[in-house]
Amino acid sequence: MNIGLEAFLGLSAVLFALGLYGALSKRSAVMVLMSLELMAVAVGLNLVAFSRFVTPEAMTGQAFAIFAMVVSAAEIGLALAIVIAIYRHARSVELSALERLKG
Amino acid sequence: MVPLLSMIVFLPLVGAIVTALMPRTMPTVPRVVALGFSVATLALATWALAIFDVDGGYQFVERFPWVPQVGIEYHLAVDGISMPIIALSALLTVLAILVSWKIDHRPAFYFTMIQLLAVGMTGVFAALDFVLFYLFWELVLVPMYFLIAIWGGARREYAAIKFFLYTLAGSVFMLVGIIALYITQGSFNIAELTALAANPDTALSYNLQFWIFAAFFLGFAVKVPVFPLHTWLPDAHVEAPTAGSVLLAGILLKMGTYGFIRISLPIMPEAAASQFWMWTLGILATVSIVYGAAVAFAQTDMKKLVAYSSVSHMGFVMLGIASGTQEGLDGAVFVMVAHGLITGMMFMLVGMVYERTHTRVISEINGLSSQTPIAGGLLAFASIASLGLPGLAGFPGELLTLLGAWRSDLWPGLVIISALGVLLAAAYMLWMVQRTVMGEAKGVVAKIRDLTAFEIATLAPLVVLIVALGVFWSLLLRYVTPAVQTVLSGMGV
Amino acid sequence: MTYIPAIPLLPALAFLALLPMSRAARNRAIWLPLGAIAVSLVLSVMAFAAVWPGGAEKAAEPVYHESIPIATVGEATIDLGLRLDPISSAMLIVITVVAMCVQVFSVGYMRKDPRVGWYYAVLSLFTAAMLALVLADNFLMLYIMWEIMGLCSYLLIGFWHEKEASRKAAIKAFLTTRVGDIGFAIGLFVMFVTVGSFEFDAVLGSAAEWAPGVATTVALLLLFGAMGKSAQVPLHVWLPDAMAGPTPASALIHAATMVAAGVYLVARSMPIFEASGVALQVVLAVGLITAIVGGLLALVQHDIKKVLAYSTISQLGYMFIGLGVGSVIAGMYHLITHAFFKSLLFLAAGVLIHAYHNQDMRKMGGAARALPITSAVFAVGSLALAGIFPFSGFWSKDEIILVLTKDGQYLAAAGALFAGFITAFYVARLWFRVFTRKPQAEGLHEAKIGKLAPMCVLAAITAGIGFFGPTLGYFLGHKIPWPDLVVAGVSSAVAMAGLAAGWWVYGRKGGEIDTGAVKARLGAIYSALVAKLYFDEMYERLAVRPFTRAASGLAVFDISRIDWLVDGAAKAWGAIARVSWRFDDRAVDGGVNGVAEAIWAFGKRARSIQSGRIQTYQQLALVAIVLLLVFVVVKG
Repeated sequence: MNIGLEAFLGLSAVLFALGLYGALSKRSAVMVLMSLELMAVAVGLNLVAFSRFVTPEAMTGQAFAIFAMVVSAAEIGLALAIVIAIYRHARSVELSALERLKG
Repeated sequence: MVPLLSMIVFLPLVGAIVTALMPRTMPTVPRVVALGFSVATLALATWALAIFDVDGGYQFVERFPWVPQVGIEYHLAVDGISMPIIALSALLTVLAILVSWKIDHRPAFYFTMIQLLAVGMTGVFAALDFVLFYLFWELVLVPMYFLIAIWGGARREYAAIKFFLYTLAGSVFMLVGIIALYITQGSFNIAELTALAANPDTALSYNLQFWIFAAFFLGFAVKVPVFPLHTWLPDAHVEAPTAGSVLLAGILLKMGTYGFIRISLPIMPEAAASQFWMWTLGILATVSIVYGAAVAFAQTDMKKLVAYSSVSHMGFVMLGIASGTQEGLDGAVFVMVAHGLITGMMFMLVGMVYERTHTRVISEINGLSSQTPIAGGLLAFASIASLGLPGLAGFPGELLTLLGAWRSDLWPGLVIISALGVLLAAAYMLWMVQRTVMGEAKGVVAKIRDLTAFEIATLAPLVVLIVALGVFWSLLLRYVTPAVQTVLSGMGV
Repeated sequence: MTYIPAIPLLPALAFLALLPMSRAARNRAIWLPLGAIAVSLVLSVMAFAAVWPGGAEKAAEPVYHESIPIATVGEATIDLGLRLDPISSAMLIVITVVAMCVQVFSVGYMRKDPRVGWYYAVLSLFTAAMLALVLADNFLMLYIMWEIMGLCSYLLIGFWHEKEASRKAAIKAFLTTRVGDIGFAIGLFVMFVTVGSFEFDAVLGSAAEWAPGVATTVALLLLFGAMGKSAQVPLHVWLPDAMAGPTPASALIHAATMVAAGVYLVARSMPIFEASGVALQVVLAVGLITAIVGGLLALVQHDIKKVLAYSTISQLGYMFIGLGVGSVIAGMYHLITHAFFKSLLFLAAGVLIHAYHNQDMRKMGGAARALPITSAVFAVGSLALAGIFPFSGFWSKDEIILVLTKDGQYLAAAGALFAGFITAFYVARLWFRVFTRKPQAEGLHEAKIGKLAPMCVLAAITAGIGFFGPTLGYFLGHKIPWPDLVVAGVSSAVAMAGLAAGWWVYGRKGGEIDTGAVKARLGAIYSALVAKLYFDEMYERLAVRPFTRAASGLAVFDISRIDWLVDGAAKAWGAIARVSWRFDDRAVDGGVNGVAEAIWAFGKRARSIQSGRIQTYQQLALVAIVLLLVFVVVKG
């Protein structure tokens, strides 16, 4: 049996929705970051899938996906560093404690 | 040529500036400075009076372009009507400064205001350009406002604001009239407008005259004041300091009647001679005479009594103006001068009595002639002059205005009713004399001292002039008669 | 004749000299007015002597006439001028003699008064004004002097101003006469408008050519003025009250001279009255009514001065009767004789008042024995007043009745005779009350020579004119044969009858008569007379009280209505200002503020979204994206 594009997109959408849910509902900053990674992975999966099924001779989608993974790895490294800095400051990684920007 | 009129008008301004610059550490200097300047002004005015050619029309003319783009000029000149009044205002300014000799509350400001007032007063009578005239007219309000509002009695602020707003409201109408004249005739010059009005080719249409007359009427009638526009006067008089009352009654009221003679009659001759305005002026004059006298009779405050008597006396001036006859206008100017002298004297005496007794309530003052024969005698003298006894200055003017009114087309009944005003004047004046001057000295009067030599000297010029004008009417009429003739001939009478 | 102006000027100068002095200096300087009037008297006699030969023939052309202009009004010139003719020269003598006598008398009478100097000053001013009045050559000057006399009268009536009665009487006198003066003044206006001049010559010369209505108007208006000054009914009410002044002043002003000025005015303007005709009838009627009413009122007075005052009113009425038939001589003759005998009576009354320390005749009596000289001169005056031959009053009253009968006015003559009867009756009443009966007071003493001498002079003149009565009459211009025995007989008989009746009521039984019975029988008439025929009450009710009420009403009106309007206008303006301020505040400014406020409120709401929680923002972003997508899809 041949696995179609729809299956990849469906998996990507499930992953993205899981990530989105986590990013919006988790209280811990670490969990939120993990959810963000899930969303980024979903996007990367989409890129690869579209590349494979729409333009198989060009490898642009795969190249973008690798770029995105590198950027999100750097990003998550930076974000975790900020979380650690926040933890040092507030002794917590709970996002509800971080309300300084309240208007 | 010496700019005599400008000197008379603006010397007090120099004095005012000098006085205003006096430091507060020298409270007695301003009065001396003010007196010096006002005496110099009086000397100039007397000199002008002496060299004035009674048959010469407008004299001491000074005429320069001021704002040539719209034809506004600096134009001063006097004729036989304004000359005596300017001299009178110079005299009353000197006397006003003398009666204020003991002012100790902000004297520099006070004497500045008095001299500023003098500038406006003389300027109004000397100006022949409407803009200049209006400027002086309004200039008068400011110092008078301060005189009442700062040195006045208990209700001074109310009185000052009432005075200011009331007369200002009136003069706004006058301004409308001035502008209307400028738009229709293209000139701000009173003499030119008079000449234009005298010429049938250039005269305004009757309708236009009627309405412009109405505008000026409102402006002048408030100032005179004519019933029923008079109620600012008693309040202003009662609250004003003595000098303020003297100048208010002596000169400021005359600005209104002068306006009628100088502006309303010659520039709007057809309107002035119209049945409507003649009757309006005549009836209002008569009502003012009788009403003022009746209300004066019921007053309990001496100053208020004199104030209402002013309404009555100014009614005679209005009656003479309404008559539009030689006798009537001669009489009107005569009453203007005589009332300035007599009422000025009354206010000064009331002020002097008030300084001693601290009351002006008639029922609290009695027997002045027993305790203070000079004060009592002079008060009786002024009252008798005021009620129009022949031989004193109050008589000729009232006689001539009544005579003129009788000769005119006014209803004789008005003259008879007005003549009753003479009887009523005797009633309120003598009743006041009876209660204050006669009888035994009791209460506050029992301890007071008579007038000082200084005060007597202040009053003396008035006494002399009241007697002199009462006996030799021509002292004044020789100026007035030719000028009135000119006015009337321009009106085609 | 250049000394003529000095006659009025000297007393005037005396007044001016006394005026600025201190009270003490003035009291010491009373010789000054005395000297002035003495010189005036001499000059008057000289003037009279210059006119005397020929007398009336010189009336057409005045012996002396000078004037100075005081003003020019239009074409008309207003002058002060003096002219001397027989009538004015006779008046000069009357005024200066009476004034001289009164002033000399006052030296003794007023000596103790602390303000005697002021009294003399006013007396001098009065004399000057009266002299100028009779010398005046025009109506305006006459009017001016007339008013100045009114002032002097006011000052002298109110001389003892510590007394309420004096003050009231003074003001009443001034105002009542001024009511008449207004008529006079309006008469002057009509005259001036008609003729263009106030000059006697111009006015009187042309009076015959005036329209009859104008002549009547002017004449009646002048008469009205004269009625005020000469205390004719109904303007007589001030004269009895005027007795509150010093008695010698009453003698001069309110008996001899000033009150006669009205008669003089009518006499002077006789051509106007003749041109009118009707006006003469009115003069006659006024005179008759006054003569009778004045006499009747004199009957019931107890105050000796008031009896004399009412008698003066009555005698002035007599003069008007004479003028009312167009006879200047009759009026002027009685004026002259009356001036002498009435001032004599007043001066004598002054002596009696000092002797009894009272003015009430009921408290007098027995003066004939205690004060013989005063009594003698009083008798002369009384007989002259009653019109008994040969005293001066006889001649002048006779003249009046004579002209009445010659004119055919028999009814008026009867009235005049009736008034004469009343006069004689009250003269007798006074005499028997004061002089003959038992004294009601003790310590009576005769006056000193200083007071007696002037009285004797006046008595001598009163008696003397009697013996030269016709001579004076001819001087004034009398032309008819004299005396007419029938008229003289009838009038004498009436006068004697009056005296006899007076004796019958008051003189029998040594004067101790109870008049209660008479009073009871007369009832209403008596009480009406005591109430002065209700004139005062009428004026009080109809003029004084309504006026004072109206004045207070108007004073309230002035504040409560007119000033209320002004203040109301100010308040209304204030209200408008407040309303427009609110409008400005709410609508205009409110608009601007409202926008700001709306933004503010929005911001406030928006703030709550700004929770600071990133996740909230993200949720919002999600919602927004979803909405956007829905929008795109739906639209799409």
